[in-house]
Amino acid sequence: MGTKYNLYIFIFVLICCNLFLASHGLPQNNQDTPPTRDSKEPVLDNAVMCEKIKDFTPKNRAVIFSIQIGQVSCFTSFDPVPKKTFIYHKWFHNDKPSTKKKLTLQPPRWATYSTIQLRETDKGHWRVEITDQKGNIFHTVRFTITD
Amino acid sequence: MSFFTHFRWQDLIDILLNSYILFRLYVLFRGTYVFRVLTGIALLWVLQRIAVFFGLILTSWAMQGITAVAALIIIIIFRNEIRDVLQAKNLKAILWGFPQQSAQTPIEIIVESVNTLSKQHSGALIVFPAKEDLQDVMQSGIPWWGLVSKQMITSIFWPDNPVHDGAAIIQGNRITEVGVILPLSHRNNLPSHYGTRHRAALGLSEVSDALVILVSEETGNVLAAKNSAITKINDDVQLVKVLQEHMGITEEKPAILRKEKFEISVAALVSVLFITGMWFSISKGMDTLITLEVPVEYTKHDPEFEIVDTSVNTVQLQLGGSGALIKSVQPDQVEVRLDLGNAVIGRNSFSITQENISLPPGIILSKITPPVVEVTLDKTITKELPVQVDWVGKLPENIILSQLTIEPEKVEVIGGKRILENISTLYTEKVPLDNIDKSGTLTVSLVLNPASLKIDPGSKDRIKLTYVVKPRGK
Repeated sequence: MGTKYNLYIFIFVLICCNLFLASHGLPQNNQDTPPTRDSKEPVLDNAVMCEKIKDFTPKNRAVIFSIQIGQVSCFTSFDPVPKKTFIYHKWFHNDKPSTKKKLTLQPPRWATYSTIQLRETDKGHWRVEITDQKGNIFHTVRFTITD
Repeated sequence: MSFFTHFRWQDLIDILLNSYILFRLYVLFRGTYVFRVLTGIALLWVLQRIAVFFGLILTSWAMQGITAVAALIIIIIFRNEIRDVLQAKNLKAILWGFPQQSAQTPIEIIVESVNTLSKQHSGALIVFPAKEDLQDVMQSGIPWWGLVSKQMITSIFWPDNPVHDGAAIIQGNRITEVGVILPLSHRNNLPSHYGTRHRAALGLSEVSDALVILVSEETGNVLAAKNSAITKINDDVQLVKVLQEHMGITEEKPAILRKEKFEISVAALVSVLFITGMWFSISKGMDTLITLEVPVEYTKHDPEFEIVDTSVNTVQLQLGGSGALIKSVQPDQVEVRLDLGNAVIGRNSFSITQENISLPPGIILSKITPPVVEVTLDKTITKELPVQVDWVGKLPENIILSQLTIEPEKVEVIGGKRILENISTLYTEKVPLDNIDKSGTLTVSLVLNPASLKIDPGSKDRIKLTYVVKPRGK
């Protein structure tokens, strides 16, 4: 009997090991998946695209903007912010890097934004990657600039 | 001298093998009419080549026709001889052995028997075939296959024997057939006392190389018919001489063996010389060049690798060799294979060398264009990509599209690693904005660019868009 149970325990341990290895062997290269963060990292509360910022509030949130409005902003708010830190707004136009804005976050909570001026050639597909200093992506916001 | 540098061990085997085949043909068919006719056909072929060389159009054309037809005729006419050679011998005898000396015809017994028949005034016809097949000129008699003996011969031609009027065929030491009907001679100048037996003896000698010994029933005279001539045999010595001459027994046995060995050796030497000459004449003068466009066959070992791009799909090979060999080159005999076993993901350059090219024997590779081929390989991977809508047109100014839900947000695509590394977003087909004035849903397709990308079977290929439209605020 003892031998039989030993065998079951052995098989159980092997299966557990396999599951453990499998879960840790999954690729972590998904850029849209937020990485695991410790409690000292700021937590993204909100990230939207808007036509303008008024009184630190995003106005006319949208996913499609006309080129004629002249500018577009990416508004992000973090809560909590454990300590003073920096984040980046990385703007990509048609999957190519366009600009990168470094923004400061202050505890205990903080909202910040970046704005780009629109030119005729800026029509197309856009995305803004909100990342920490190490490049870990908090979130990606996608929008389109049309006529 | 450069020619000999191209001489390979395969060429040596080629010459030796064909020399042996020719030598064996000689050994098997020597002394038969087949061999003589084969020699004639070979001469015709040589004449035809000479006629071609001198530009004799009609002669060469006629010779070519005759040679072609003769090859067919020889099989039909000499089917019996060919059958005898191939059927009577086993495989070892055909490939290796030498024809054994046939059993000697017992001349003394025959002479004694003829003497007895002559004294008894028993008419007799005894046929001794030579090289030619007599089946077509004689009407078949009764198979006998009895050993030659005086008693046997005298009893065959005994007047009360039913077969005594026919001829007896003696081959080696056996009486093979009796009661055989021979063709009669139609000559008008024969002596009046010649009967049917005389005409039969002469008739066979006119159409074959056989010797016929005749014993006259009326006079008891012995006559020998050969080569359309009939001569009277006066005594035993003369009969022995006639028989020996016919059977080629004019020398002592060791001398005959020596002569045969010499003949075989000469035949072997001539075979080697002839085939060597023929080989050199066919493959001489590497002066003919052709250019072939050959497709390149790329072989990859890793099934996960895919060939994304190649600089060329065909290469031009300049081949040299003798005119005869070059003319006989078929496109499917020339292959260019490129082994991608050591290739890596990305662009690879390969030099095409002699090792990558298989050519028919005797063909020399002189140039490859282009000498270098570039192959771009990629590895097939699966990647999850976010979906973005390809909006076109313009929304009415008084509204904004405030929210959009894309379902599914991400789609797994399968494609080359190098391609997918540079792709971070999948776009939908173009979705016009001009018709949107209120919230709603749409279902759209994805656009895969490049077309080599495929949507993973586990992912949806249709994208549902749920959008919220709001009036523009101030």
